Amino acid sequence: MPRTRSRTNAPAGTRSTTVGFGRLLLRNKLGMIGLAVIMFWTLGSIFIGVLSPYGASETAAGALLAPPSLDHLFGTDNFGRDLLTRVFAGGQLSLWTGLIAVGISMAIGVPLGGIAGYAGGALGSVIMRVMDVLLAFPSLVLAMAVAAALGPGTSSAMIAVGIVGIPEFARITYGQTISLKQREFVEAGRALGLTSATILTRHIVPNALAPIVVRATLGMGYAILTAAALSFIGLGAQPPTAEWGVMISDGRGYIISGEWWLTFFPGLAIATSILGFNLLGDALRDVLDPRLRTTA
Amino acid sequence: MRVTAKAVAVAASVLLVTGCSANANTNANSTANSGATTITAAYSEGGTTLNPTEANDVTSDTFVLAAYDQLVTYATEEVDGQQVANTSEIVPMIASSWEVSADDTEYTFTLRDDIEFQSGNPLTSADVVGSFQLIADSSSASFLYGMAGISTVTAVDEHTVTITLNQANHLFLQILPMYSFSIMDTTLVEENGGAEWLATNTAGSGPFTVDSWDPSTEAVLSRNDAYWGEEPALETVNIKFITEASNRVQLLSKGEVQLALEIPAKDVASLEDTEGVVIDSRPSNKILYFAMNNAIAPFDNELVRQAITHAIPYDKLLTDVMQGQASPMTSSVASSTPGFTADGNTADYDLDKAKDLLAEAGYPDGFTFDFTLGSGFQDWNDDAVLIQAELAKVGVTMNITNMARAQFLEAIATGQVQSYISRWTSFVNDPGYHLGLLLTSDGTSNYANYNNADVDALWTEASTEPDQETRNELYGEAQTIINEESPWAYLYEYNIVVGLQEGTEGYTSYPDGIVRYSQLSVN
Repeated sequence: MPRTRSRTNAPAGTRSTTVGFGRLLLRNKLGMIGLAVIMFWTLGSIFIGVLSPYGASETAAGALLAPPSLDHLFGTDNFGRDLLTRVFAGGQLSLWTGLIAVGISMAIGVPLGGIAGYAGGALGSVIMRVMDVLLAFPSLVLAMAVAAALGPGTSSAMIAVGIVGIPEFARITYGQTISLKQREFVEAGRALGLTSATILTRHIVPNALAPIVVRATLGMGYAILTAAALSFIGLGAQPPTAEWGVMISDGRGYIISGEWWLTFFPGLAIATSILGFNLLGDALRDVLDPRLRTTA
Repeated sequence: MRVTAKAVAVAASVLLVTGCSANANTNANSTANSGATTITAAYSEGGTTLNPTEANDVTSDTFVLAAYDQLVTYATEEVDGQQVANTSEIVPMIASSWEVSADDTEYTFTLRDDIEFQSGNPLTSADVVGSFQLIADSSSASFLYGMAGISTVTAVDEHTVTITLNQANHLFLQILPMYSFSIMDTTLVEENGGAEWLATNTAGSGPFTVDSWDPSTEAVLSRNDAYWGEEPALETVNIKFITEASNRVQLLSKGEVQLALEIPAKDVASLEDTEGVVIDSRPSNKILYFAMNNAIAPFDNELVRQAITHAIPYDKLLTDVMQGQASPMTSSVASSTPGFTADGNTADYDLDKAKDLLAEAGYPDGFTFDFTLGSGFQDWNDDAVLIQAELAKVGVTMNITNMARAQFLEAIATGQVQSYISRWTSFVNDPGYHLGLLLTSDGTSNYANYNNADVDALWTEASTEPDQETRNELYGEAQTIINEESPWAYLYEYNIVVGLQEGTEGYTSYPDGIVRYSQLSVN
């Protein structure tokens, strides 16, 4: 049975399997909750500019340090800026940071892992040992080092978080490639005289996509958290940019004096968006990983 | 048998329990006793050195003043029921008396003959000569040595020292009480290979010894029981280094520390309402200014700088950011400094005027500039955000870049930073000292590259002028020029806010903001 399936799957993503994935995903309640949370933050941050009567950096939009009220659902900060507007505006930046960082990780990690796995030998060893070196650093420390070297700012935070994520993608792709390159359809490709590059890009990577997609989804949440941490310590977004980590950093002096909303709402935003990506990632893994597919 | 065994066990356990509780009682008593002479303080920074000639931050200076004595010191007085230093009156310390020659260029100090260093070595005139040599050779205090105008330091006999000046200098006696001019046990320093050893060891005659010092956690000072002067009331001083301001506030309000520095303005009101906490908030000569680099366009244009001074929401900074724990700053020197004048200062919050000046300067649509924000002080961050928002209204884009404090200090010292906010405390409350460091073209802290030949000439003339009134007039003229040319925008004068537990007595406020622990006691 597995042999037949892998043969029909060879040109990955035929119509019937895509529909199957979709239906399975829709049936996964937790996954759908995750997706809903992500959609909430995505749509909210896209449309906040239109929906909110306040500007994200508009000082004195209300009283200073006003608690949540009907005028300001999340309250205001110490400059009288509307927190709800800032939290959603911060979502824009956080989601972008997540997307771009994961994009960087994938764009570099996947080819490296694929080449290492397919070529093997000395080249493969060198690539994977370099990845091991990167992994040996605690990820936040590595991100801090990269961001500090590039100078503070949102783009350097994106790059830093992206670089930190490279080894994960390289390792996943490496493992997938190692097992896929033994399979018959790859051997068949080689027998037909396809070049290594073609086999890798047209046959191996598409079949290794499932775990990569899962990892990318989970990685989004992780990237958002790391970027917020960088901003918290001043290496990410600079004032007056609204960013969740910066907002928590600026608001932390007010926790004891009782202005909880300054840190609560950005904290809630970070927590829920990461939860969203994790739930969706788990759901995708359940659906895409045949070994875990019990309900099919 | 069984019963007896039980009885014995019970008796034994009773003994054990009483034994324990007896011990516990003694322990409790002894902590209570030592509690009366121990104080724990919370500082924001852990200090960088114990060397008097290189110390330059509040924590390091605190150690130096605890472990060392100086030739002379500042008098203290009571004003409105609070102890304050009177820096214009100099009183004896190591020197019991001194004589000044008729032309004010030769000072002869008579040293006390009963002073021993903490090492047991006697303090003699050779130590004074040696210490002044160490100061002259240092990288940090040597500047003050030059400012004091010292020419030679000679030992007349074992307890007499003569210091000659290049010319009459009113700052000389004012500078001598500073921590930088501590008298060091030069025999001990030589035995240990010289000045480098002083960075992590002390060689003083002061009221406390530095028992341990870990810049990341805490330092412990112990009373020098053989101190030659009045014995300090405190036996032990624990100084904890707590970076996070809200943690210091929390420790103070919970009674975990008896003294806390750098209390954020926003927490003052709630701490005042906290039972058992006393807030000591007083105006000071600690200023905060917005420096515009006069050597980098467009801030090389006087009109642009003036425009900026009209776009700063001064009242908002005082009320919203500082919550009343600061007062307006209206000249380059603090309003409590002798010779202060606000003449020539036209800065007020007026965006129309700012726009007009920008147009006149050739920037009708504004411009973009880089602003470097040193981290560590929430009010700087808040000021920057508010100023940024106002500048945006006149078309000026201020790009803020955060920098860790150590990096920030390094960066501004290069003189290449386009604009920044920084604070300054003149430990010698004198315009000559203040302007000389900050706004003369050779000033070592003139990081905004202000350069005006008239100001330099006035400052040079004033520094050798013996008559105080004439001197202050000259300093006033210099201030007027500076006010008009606006190398800085003046933000505010800080209050020095110290949080104390009730029962902590003797706190005396000095312009340098350094706590002298020998003055403190606990009830």
